[in-house]
Amino acid sequence: MSDPASSANSPAVRFQAPRRLFSTLEGVFNEELFFLILSVFIGIFAGLAVVCFRLAIDWMHLALLGPLPQTHSWRLFAVPALAGLIVAALVIHVFPGIRGSGVNQTKAALYIFNGFIPFRTAIGKFICAAIAIGSGQSLGPEDPSLQIGAGIASALGRQLQISREKLRLMAPVGAAAGLAAAFNAPISAVLFVIEEVIGRWSAGILGSVVLSAVSSVVIVRWFLGSEPLFRIPVTAFKRPAELIAYAVLGIVGGLASVAFAKSIGYLRPRLKALPRWTQYFQPALAGLLIGLIAFLGAPQIMGAGYDSMDQAMHGQYAWKILAVLALLKVLATTFSFVSGAPGGMFAPTLFVGAMLGGAVGGAVGDIERIFFHHPAGSTGTYALVGMGVLFAGFLRVPMTSVFMVLEVSGNYEIVVPVIVANTFSYVISRSLQTVPLFDMLTRQDGLILPSLEEDREETILRVEDAMLPVPATTLSAEDYVDANARRVQDSTDSSFLVRMHPSGWNIISRDQLQRLLREGKGEHTLASVLPLQSLPSLYPDLPLDSALRYVNNYPLVPVVNRANSRQLEGVISSESVFKKYGSRGAEEVPRPT
Amino acid sequence: MSWTSPKLVPRSAPIVLLILTLAAAVSFAAVSHLVARFTANQQSRGRKLYAQGLAEASAGRYDDAIAAFRAALTCDPTNSQYQLSLARALRDSNDPRHLDEAESYLIALWQRAPQDAAVNLALARVAAHRGSLEDATRYYHNAMYGVWNADTEASRSKARIELIQFLLKQGARDEAASELMALATALPPDPAAHLQAAKLFGNAHDDAGELAQYEEALRLAPTNAAALAGAGEAAYRSRDYLTARRYLQAAVNANPSDSDSRELLETTDLILHNDPFASHISDAERNRRITAAFAQAEKRLAECAQQKGVDLKTATPAATPLASLQSLWTEAKPDLARLRSPAETDLPDALLDVVLQIEQQTTTTCGQPQGLDLALLRISQRREAASQ
Repeated sequence: MSDPASSANSPAVRFQAPRRLFSTLEGVFNEELFFLILSVFIGIFAGLAVVCFRLAIDWMHLALLGPLPQTHSWRLFAVPALAGLIVAALVIHVFPGIRGSGVNQTKAALYIFNGFIPFRTAIGKFICAAIAIGSGQSLGPEDPSLQIGAGIASALGRQLQISREKLRLMAPVGAAAGLAAAFNAPISAVLFVIEEVIGRWSAGILGSVVLSAVSSVVIVRWFLGSEPLFRIPVTAFKRPAELIAYAVLGIVGGLASVAFAKSIGYLRPRLKALPRWTQYFQPALAGLLIGLIAFLGAPQIMGAGYDSMDQAMHGQYAWKILAVLALLKVLATTFSFVSGAPGGMFAPTLFVGAMLGGAVGGAVGDIERIFFHHPAGSTGTYALVGMGVLFAGFLRVPMTSVFMVLEVSGNYEIVVPVIVANTFSYVISRSLQTVPLFDMLTRQDGLILPSLEEDREETILRVEDAMLPVPATTLSAEDYVDANARRVQDSTDSSFLVRMHPSGWNIISRDQLQRLLREGKGEHTLASVLPLQSLPSLYPDLPLDSALRYVNNYPLVPVVNRANSRQLEGVISSESVFKKYGSRGAEEVPRPT
Repeated sequence: MSWTSPKLVPRSAPIVLLILTLAAAVSFAAVSHLVARFTANQQSRGRKLYAQGLAEASAGRYDDAIAAFRAALTCDPTNSQYQLSLARALRDSNDPRHLDEAESYLIALWQRAPQDAAVNLALARVAAHRGSLEDATRYYHNAMYGVWNADTEASRSKARIELIQFLLKQGARDEAASELMALATALPPDPAAHLQAAKLFGNAHDDAGELAQYEEALRLAPTNAAALAGAGEAAYRSRDYLTARRYLQAAVNANPSDSDSRELLETTDLILHNDPFASHISDAERNRRITAAFAQAEKRLAECAQQKGVDLKTATPAATPLASLQSLWTEAKPDLARLRSPAETDLPDALLDVVLQIEQQTTTTCGQPQGLDLALLRISQRREAASQ
């Protein structure tokens, strides 16, 4: 006989309790819940990666340019060019596909490659962007962080072999985490990913995106502190007349955005079309130009430039210098970006916006000094609003642009100036540059991806657009069959709607009525002879797509009032629906490719 | 392992999450180590740059100091000491554009530690640079009652003295007087501190307060020449000429090379010897002094007219005030003979009025007098002040 004590200690018995626990837990998880929890882990891993990425950039900057870069130093001149050569070699031979910002690649992963982003791309982006930005290329760390986050999420999803549908969504979830961590602003990151990466409002993914963004920000703040990227000046909006100045800022920002985007749109395909060997030297040439600008006295344009933005917001530069810095940054960023050096457009956009805002604010201040003896607003406030202006005009993300300024500044007093200036900038940019920057870049790469801006512009066909007038003859289910048969005698229609009691609609054909009479059911009410299942009804404001589900099954579908379902607004039929779609198809201009 | 199977959810989800948790914990630990090492390196680099910045600032090269402090802050962005030093360098660089940034750093520091006296003092100085009376006063008070790292009482006194100097510069004498009262009650038993306080009272035109502080300094150091001279001058300004003579005499004895005190002593002696309204003199002596003053006034009038090129014999009284005074003097001269008459009780005052008018007018026209004329001017001013 076996000893009871030893059987209690046998492995089978010892592992019974944990097994039971696991069985219980296994029952708890469904795919949705699992995906939500996975989003938190994506946020954590993306946050950790971004912390390392930021350290790598700082370390590169210190190692290559020193802690205290001096104007006219040989390092400023030589380092960006030499680093450009190394980056070009890495991009061409080791990490193909990491050129540019990474936003479009993430979007393409979502819509074309079923969420697949090679992990090698994330690693390559990390290394090359750190070298490029750390050496002074005029690019920012946010978009690469977005792609690194997306790459980590995609790799994790593949490793866990989750469903294709969920794997596709991993990229934006990781992108939000990466961007939120880099920018220390979770709301803006979530909005940007929705506006630019996902390209449409999708409630299904929102929870995961928010969870990953928040968890990554928590990680970054844990390690790097909650200090903002730049110190926010005391901002104030004192008198409504200032809105005129902010509108001017919006106009200037809109025009600058168009010039910036057009210069990239013009140069990028031309440089890509040059012989392959030139690609080894393009980032180096861009670096040389940036080095030259820095060497000659404007080192502020190097790298992300957050320190200079900080100083611009605290009135450290005269407005004319700010205007020159904005112009030089546009030049430097254009050359860095079109050369194929990996790095983002977020920070340069903020830089140009801050400098332009500060310049406009300074000029307005000078004018106000002449007329009112003291300026109303501070340069810092204009610089802050200017950041949003460029975001709205250049990146064409109007929602993100507003929330970004509010989130970064933590000041809701400037919401009105921000909205006014951003609106002007966005409208001007849209009028003069039809295709947004990121869409333009994807099209240059031969990809057509959905765009929230195009979706917004697309007119949705509704039921009311295809609706036919209320038929002259409608029947009542309370009336007798023979009375209804007499009522339809003069009509040319073949089918008739029947108003049911107390509510609902049904349909009956002329032939069915005749057959009922022949069967001797003339003394029966229609309600007693019609099938109980009533006809589906539609509302005028519904999308016309929703009518497609019914028009093939019924010759007529009633369109009723939302307040009173017995009140008929009209009817639709398959002919009317397809006729409307047909006429719209003829009107539409095909999308440019 | 089962979690790699295509049907992941829900069969092996707990195991997957457990592994992910472990992986996250390991990654977290690795990144913590990395960040700690990087931060330590950065802090070390920051300390070097900070020391460089301090050296530049103490040499008055504020632009270089600012660059060094900025670089130190990029290495250690949350270091309050670096931020404070950068703010101070920005403020002291005398570039008005730097004040905004200095204030921004200081306000961030203040929000973290509103009780920090050094931060409040720096903010007060920024406000003082801007000429903002309200803000400067508030921050100076915060600094006075804030927490100092060392030498609390002396630092508080220094902050108050700075506030008083700022208030005086702004012309806020009442506020300055209140602060001076508070300062006087909290001064340590140190002659130098009382001397400094006395000067502040002097700047605030509080002669009595100034004299009191000098006397307090003399109580602690009876032979202090600066205190003796200051007390003499303060007493002279407050028209207490007897006291002034006592202190000035002592000051000259203590420091024979003190020409200012000597000159002031001579004037004081002249005042005391020629004041017709002195209480302890006889009628004869009073009349003598009035007669002497009357003669001196004519002399001063003639000298001043000559200096200004006015011929008093030919000029009409309407043409120039000097001629008008000459006419007044000439009209009053016969009255000198009636001074001895006991019935003429108002005559000394009337005659002195003429003298004083002449001394005041000639001072206005020809500048500050010397010797007996100066003494007569002081006598007239004291009489005027007494009558008011």
